[in-house]
Amino acid sequence: MPRRFITAEDIRRAEGRELVVDPETVVTPQALDAARAAGVTLRDTSGAAWTEPAPDRGPDAARAQHHLPLMPEPSAEHAAGTGVMVVVVGRNRTGVLAEITAAIAKGGGNVRDISQRSVEDYFHLVLTVELEHAGQFDPLKDTLQCMGGEQDFVARVMHERVFRYMHRV
Amino acid sequence: MSFSDQEILETLRMVELETLDVRTTTLGINLLDCADPDLESACEKVYTKILHHGKDLVRTAESIASDYGVPIVNKRIAVTPISLIAGPSGADSLVPLAKAMDAAAEEVGVDFIGGFTAYVHKGFTRADEALFRSIPEALAATKRVCSSVSLGTTKAGINMDAVVQFTDIVLDTAERTKADGGLGCAKLVCFMNPVEDNPFVAGAHIGIGEPETVINVGVSGPGVVRSAIERLGPDADLLAVYEVIKRTAFKITRVGELVGREAARRLGTTFGIVDVSLAPTPAQGDSISDILELIGVDRTGAPGTTVALAMLTDAVKKGGAMASSSVGGLSGAFIPVSEDMGMIAAVRDEALSLAKLEAMSAVCSVGLDMIAVPGDTPAATITGIIADELAIGMVNTKTTAVRMIPVPGKGPGETVEWGGLLGTAIVQDPGRFSCSLLHARGGRVPAPLQSYKN
Repeated sequence: MPRRFITAEDIRRAEGRELVVDPETVVTPQALDAARAAGVTLRDTSGAAWTEPAPDRGPDAARAQHHLPLMPEPSAEHAAGTGVMVVVVGRNRTGVLAEITAAIAKGGGNVRDISQRSVEDYFHLVLTVELEHAGQFDPLKDTLQCMGGEQDFVARVMHERVFRYMHRV
Repeated sequence: MSFSDQEILETLRMVELETLDVRTTTLGINLLDCADPDLESACEKVYTKILHHGKDLVRTAESIASDYGVPIVNKRIAVTPISLIAGPSGADSLVPLAKAMDAAAEEVGVDFIGGFTAYVHKGFTRADEALFRSIPEALAATKRVCSSVSLGTTKAGINMDAVVQFTDIVLDTAERTKADGGLGCAKLVCFMNPVEDNPFVAGAHIGIGEPETVINVGVSGPGVVRSAIERLGPDADLLAVYEVIKRTAFKITRVGELVGREAARRLGTTFGIVDVSLAPTPAQGDSISDILELIGVDRTGAPGTTVALAMLTDAVKKGGAMASSSVGGLSGAFIPVSEDMGMIAAVRDEALSLAKLEAMSAVCSVGLDMIAVPGDTPAATITGIIADELAIGMVNTKTTAVRMIPVPGKGPGETVEWGGLLGTAIVQDPGRFSCSLLHARGGRVPAPLQSYKN
């Protein structure tokens, strides 16, 4: 097992101008300072300059990463892609639905289901949208939330998964 | 998959109007490999390891909150009991380790870090002693560090010598933080039967059976439960009330399960537990007391409060147990007095006494939590209150805890403002009779008969 840390004390004890650091070893910020001050170069086993490794989360972590995706999820009809719920509340006016759906289409979303209610001047709209990949979620959310405004409409964008977890087993 | 409008609106209502949130996402980090004969090097390792593992925690939690639309209120870190890594250094004061934890917590961006902890339910090691001695200064000198100690277990009984020492620590900590109303004591808790995967501060720490790193999630949602009972109305019988609480707890816990799985996946670590405790905040409507009053007591603390709380706790556990296979931590209902507007009002109206709180703690998930007592309360009285609470946990094989703040310069009935999540407290009267001989005797309360199960 490689040593876990290299501290400032280790740098002080190190003889020579170079220290080879095992891949899983973490060098403390104080040791980095000490190495700079003493002119000690830190290298990884391949000879390159040392960079902080990704955290080693422990022996259970790899098992957990393997098993987590195998945990049963609440039933989903459309397993592919990313399901998104868009809920919009606001003042009804001509073209508001077209604006919203156009923005969804531009963001790469396919509207799977739609439900709208109107009460007097106000509307309440729920859209179930399918995205091709998860990377489209953030831009779509930003776009929709920046549209409208307090006097017009407010959109809320959430992953469908939270609804599935809450309402399906 | 299509959802009915009703289902969609229910979820949105919970988040928007009923303050449904995930109360905490706590990253547990094992620090056993940070032990070092040189205390300075141990501090360096502690700081580095917390930073190395914790640096992505806040960003990850915020991205999950944004994706799922459910706020994650607190991001915290829990570490191995510090007394376990301090041994090799032989240091008398472990304050530098607390400062290293504090600096790392600040750098990572979490508001609290738990684990300045010792297990002394059967006796002290040298390192445990050093930790006990260091607690008052550590809590006064740091902002984010929380300290917890185990003073008893059902298997070991109660270490009364440790209880007496803990009382001195509580009084010393209050004195050192008197400018802030004894606030240091809000970061200090003692336990009977501590749980090793508790994500909630001040008792958060990672026990020795835990993995290298682990994500534990604490859900919340008193506001959601309250609204659900409110909608049910006064005509429903207790079975119907129970059913509504159980169903609501199921839904809340599902969100915790989702967030826990997702946080573990994104951080590349293990998902530990969901703690399904209903945890109040000083915000309007986010109150356990309101729920008890909706179940049917005039004021919290009145006759009927204990049975209402017992029912609430059990319904939450059953709903939670069906929603997640990883229910753990404390899981029940929290009754921190100063953090719950309804509880504070009940104390102000003299409906809720210390004695009633003690009875309530026999059926909820923790114990006497965030209780203010006068700053000049005799040490023997504090020892007695703590030991009584521990006895309830010992005999009932459950976790109990005491987080008590003797407020310097304040007497019964006076108000103290701590602000933020810690809220406001009314100083409560511990009575004029004490237990000075019990305090002076010290020693050990042996394990009860119900612990002999082998």
